[in-house]
Amino acid sequence: MMYLEDFVVGAEREFGHYEVTEEEVIAFGNRYDNQPFHIDKEAAKDSIYGGLIASGWHTCAMFMRMACDAQNDEGGGERMASLGSPGFDDLKWLLPVRPGDILSVRTRILSATPSRSKQDRGTMRIQIWVSNQKNEIVLEMTSMGRYLRRPTG
Amino acid sequence: MRMKYFEDIEVGEVWDLGQRAVEAAEIIEFASQYDPQPFHTDAAAAEASFFGGLIASGWHTCAIVMELLANYIKAEKLASLGAPGMDSCRWLVPVRPGDVLHGRTTILAARPSASKPMGLITVRTEVFNQDQAKVVQLEGVAMYGRRPMVAGDSA
Repeated sequence: MMYLEDFVVGAEREFGHYEVTEEEVIAFGNRYDNQPFHIDKEAAKDSIYGGLIASGWHTCAMFMRMACDAQNDEGGGERMASLGSPGFDDLKWLLPVRPGDILSVRTRILSATPSRSKQDRGTMRIQIWVSNQKNEIVLEMTSMGRYLRRPTG
Repeated sequence: MRMKYFEDIEVGEVWDLGQRAVEAAEIIEFASQYDPQPFHTDAAAAEASFFGGLIASGWHTCAIVMELLANYIKAEKLASLGAPGMDSCRWLVPVRPGDVLHGRTTILAARPSASKPMGLITVRTEVFNQDQAKVVQLEGVAMYGRRPMVAGDSA
């Protein structure tokens, strides 16, 4: 079991290899973000983006898939004492994600702080960068996770 | 109906994004593809988890917020140019199967871009469930096109 105390501030990880396809970009766009530059190749050419781009929320979703896969690859489901995430801050979609891009992730633990009001848990903050195959950062954000503290005694 | 540009959006405006139900099948489908954790994909495992039942991935909730907003943009013919990011997002209450989500966006500030022919609108989007509990709140900036000059306009 991995507890709040097991996150080492400053520790970095790199993981993920996600090939972005036109089919998936359009499918996500049609379902959740039907703006022309996400679903219509021709209209996207005439937009400020000059071609089809993934919904920023699709990029977030692809990040999450890479994070889950990395978790499963390491220790085959060593259980995290996770209580879910309260949210994120300073999400920036720095560059468009386009069909054919290959995404990967780098993370750094920023802090792991016990809760003041609930003694059994705390909040971990983590910086996240998603890059494309040219090593350009396409997305960054500061995410949070709530975790149980290691039981004492 | 004519296009609505940056100039047509006023600070203080509230956009009613409408509502939409969330079912278990969709929660499992989204999570199986993008967030395969047991409390998002497996009803029985979710029962035994901290959450006490299946909950939607927070990213799924964000995607549903975007769906409501994108449908509003289309219906109102808003000249949306996308967004550079999101300053904050708080997942306040889990979204569960059968929930009916209702969204609203409040325009907090508006300014023309200094470098590009677009306007920047600061928005707060809040989504509530059928019990009027706020499930997610997002704040950030969105980009909107400027109203084109037409012949005869003074420059």
